[in-house]
Amino acid sequence: MEIIALLLPLAILLGLLFIGGFIWMAYHGQYDDLETPKYKMLIDANQKKIKKNHLSKKDVRDE
Amino acid sequence: MKNFMKNLASPEKIQQKILMCCHCDEFVFKAVYDEKSDPDHHKPFCCMGCLTVYQILSQKGLEDYYDIKNRTGIYRRRSPVEIQSLQYLFINDIAFMNEYSYLDANQYRTMEFYLEGIHCLGCLWLIEKFPSLVENVISAKLDLKKSIVKVTISKEGSFSTVAQEFNQLGYKPHPLKKNQDGEHLKTREERQFLLRIGIAAAGANNVMLYAISLYAGADGFFASIFNSLTVIFAIPVFSYCAFPFYKNAWQSLKNKNFSIDMPIAVSLLIGIAHGMFNYFTGIHENYFDSLTTLVFLLLLSRYFLKKIQENALSFQDLHFFYLGESLLRATDKTLLNFEEVHPKYITVNDCIKISSGNFIPADGKIIKGTTHVNTSLLTGESIPQEVGPHDSVFAGTQNISSEIIMQALKIKNETRLGMILNNVENGQKIKAPVVELTDKVSKYFILTVFGLALGLFCYHAFHGNLIHAVEQSLILLIVTCPCALALSVPLTFTRSLTKAAEHGIIIKSDIVLQKITKIKNIFLDKTGTITHGKLSVNSMCLPKNNTPIKKIFDVIVSLESDSKHPTAKALVEYATIKGGVKNEVTHHLEIPGVGVSGKINHQFYEINKHGVFENAEHIAKFNFIDDIRNDSKNTIQFLLSHNLKVHMLSGDNKSVVLDVAKKVNISPSQSYSELSPEEKNVLISKTPHSMMVGDGANDAIALANSHVGVAVLGAMDISLKAADVYLTTPGLSSVAKLITLSKETMKIIHRNLFLSLIYNSISVYLALRGWISPWAAAIIMPLSSLTVFLSSLYGTKKLRNLWK
Repeated sequence: MEIIALLLPLAILLGLLFIGGFIWMAYHGQYDDLETPKYKMLIDANQKKIKKNHLSKKDVRDE
Repeated sequence: MKNFMKNLASPEKIQQKILMCCHCDEFVFKAVYDEKSDPDHHKPFCCMGCLTVYQILSQKGLEDYYDIKNRTGIYRRRSPVEIQSLQYLFINDIAFMNEYSYLDANQYRTMEFYLEGIHCLGCLWLIEKFPSLVENVISAKLDLKKSIVKVTISKEGSFSTVAQEFNQLGYKPHPLKKNQDGEHLKTREERQFLLRIGIAAAGANNVMLYAISLYAGADGFFASIFNSLTVIFAIPVFSYCAFPFYKNAWQSLKNKNFSIDMPIAVSLLIGIAHGMFNYFTGIHENYFDSLTTLVFLLLLSRYFLKKIQENALSFQDLHFFYLGESLLRATDKTLLNFEEVHPKYITVNDCIKISSGNFIPADGKIIKGTTHVNTSLLTGESIPQEVGPHDSVFAGTQNISSEIIMQALKIKNETRLGMILNNVENGQKIKAPVVELTDKVSKYFILTVFGLALGLFCYHAFHGNLIHAVEQSLILLIVTCPCALALSVPLTFTRSLTKAAEHGIIIKSDIVLQKITKIKNIFLDKTGTITHGKLSVNSMCLPKNNTPIKKIFDVIVSLESDSKHPTAKALVEYATIKGGVKNEVTHHLEIPGVGVSGKINHQFYEINKHGVFENAEHIAKFNFIDDIRNDSKNTIQFLLSHNLKVHMLSGDNKSVVLDVAKKVNISPSQSYSELSPEEKNVLISKTPHSMMVGDGANDAIALANSHVGVAVLGAMDISLKAADVYLTTPGLSSVAKLITLSKETMKIIHRNLFLSLIYNSISVYLALRGWISPWAAAIIMPLSSLTVFLSSLYGTKKLRNLWK
């Protein structure tokens, strides 16, 4: 039963860490939009790169 | 998500049957193709607007938009793109910028736009690509649900460039004015609420963990450690997380009324006092595990209800679009040069150019041009009015055929629409508050429980054990906490509101459902509610017998396709369905207010208000009506069979109204014609328990003042604001659904009330006999919550059928 002396503080520490993380994230806007992010995962990250020089403001107007 | 999955339409499957526009996913009647890159015509587009956007996207290497869209499905429907070359220069105006955007510490400016036309995940992807698309854009974040994008630009950037780019890609941007303090407060509140839930969850779980060890028989040193831990973890839950309950209870105490939060707060406070007293006197017994779990569950259920109601409210926050589009204002007397301005800056006597399809921003008179205006939203008249120079036009009406120049005479609040708006706002303020059912019940609940506790105290005190008497009566107050009751109501409403929203019925508040069950009179607006609100061909007659019908349809499609006149649109729709094909036209001429003419196969044709003419010979005549919706008659039958009185209101003339009334079985004595918005309001205000169903601004005051206001699809923003319910599917059948929904929901709530009272009686009985203990409470409380949860989920048979 001595192991409880170690496990108990560890468990509490772990719990506090998660609560701290939760508070930190809530105050940094992580949960402000709960709708859009779930759809974002459906978009692949490895889409081909856009040619940036083609896209400057000037070019767009000329087209 | 379920709803979203339903919309997943596989593009291949649909293309086999009917052509769908590659860009906007609308049905294609007359396909256009990109001849250069797609000579084999694999990619149909419904209009030039969509095709242009497609070309721009492929030029920029953004074709992935279409991959993402087709792979992930459509989020919501959109309409074809209308490209207008607007510069949006007024956005760069300093005064405008200061009002609509804000600076942060890095000198970055942020502005929010509502984007018309957001409809799929491709849109999300495209918008968030903006930082790499447009120079000096730092970030662009899209809220898919609200279609609101937050754009941040650096010091060198310009919002008009951003707006132009949105416009070019087929999204119509509307800058949104931000009430920054209000928004800030809302975000903070929202975060606080989430924090409360999170901390309550963590606290309750830890308390439970140690409490179980105690129930399992931990003793000696461990027992005191575990007991201390339950106290430590319970403190933040009882203080920070449960704060809203104390606050609400205090407020109702101050206002001398009852609310469900009062017995909850009492139970919590007594539970805390009892537990703390035991802790300091060395008794390892408290009710913290049950009470912390209760706090968590209650917060959670209230959060869900709040969220779903907020979604409904965000519909009305869409501001006033017809006042949000940029306009062209004449810079000099010649009426040749125009500058772009925001409608806010229109002043009296300004001359404004209004192209077809746009809303008129102010009351005034026409200086140049002849056109038709759709006044149905303001007056309820179904047939568009022809207006020419010196005629008056009103704010909120829509220009539907050709370009005009008008002079503004009355602006903002002085316009007819502005006055209706003011009326609506006032109407909302005086709406009588409704006592929530739970609050009503809680009154009897509190009285009963306190009576019982007092009785128990007296009984034990009489038998001489004062400490035992205090303890037993306190425990009774703790365990009779109406947790299941408080939990079941928000749960049931959340479920009903969510389901309703999935089926296109947006309900702003749970109280509305409660109110609908008491409705006795239903007032239906005619134009746009019972009828389609637009013209269609009723019948055709051929004065000359030997003309082939096919030829007439071909002529109509060929000549009228590009016309924006409402009767022309009705004719083209009719002729296209009957198989009319477009032929080549020479000498094509459209004279607004007169008609169109042109030569096809060396024959001269003309279409005007009398019909179709071939070489000046009358060959076809048409009859137009504003058609009654398919489901109107059945819905009205349903309403009548539920003992509701159905009335019809209209601004239209008497003969039209009586004709419609006859067709849908409304008695002529309950059909009212030629009503002004104010008269509609008077009629509804003096009828108690009335529900108003309508769409236009002419219904808005009545919507605001009725017991329950329902705005139907296509309604103006102003009616959305005034209404309690908004139907996003066309037709009246949703009204029938709404009535069933509210009746069934209240049935579930009553059932849950009954169930939770049974559980409460059990705990009262146990407490009276002195058999209750913390672990018994820890079983009964969650069990009762689970029961009402399952009961809400199960619903009723009628409700399940309703959603099939």
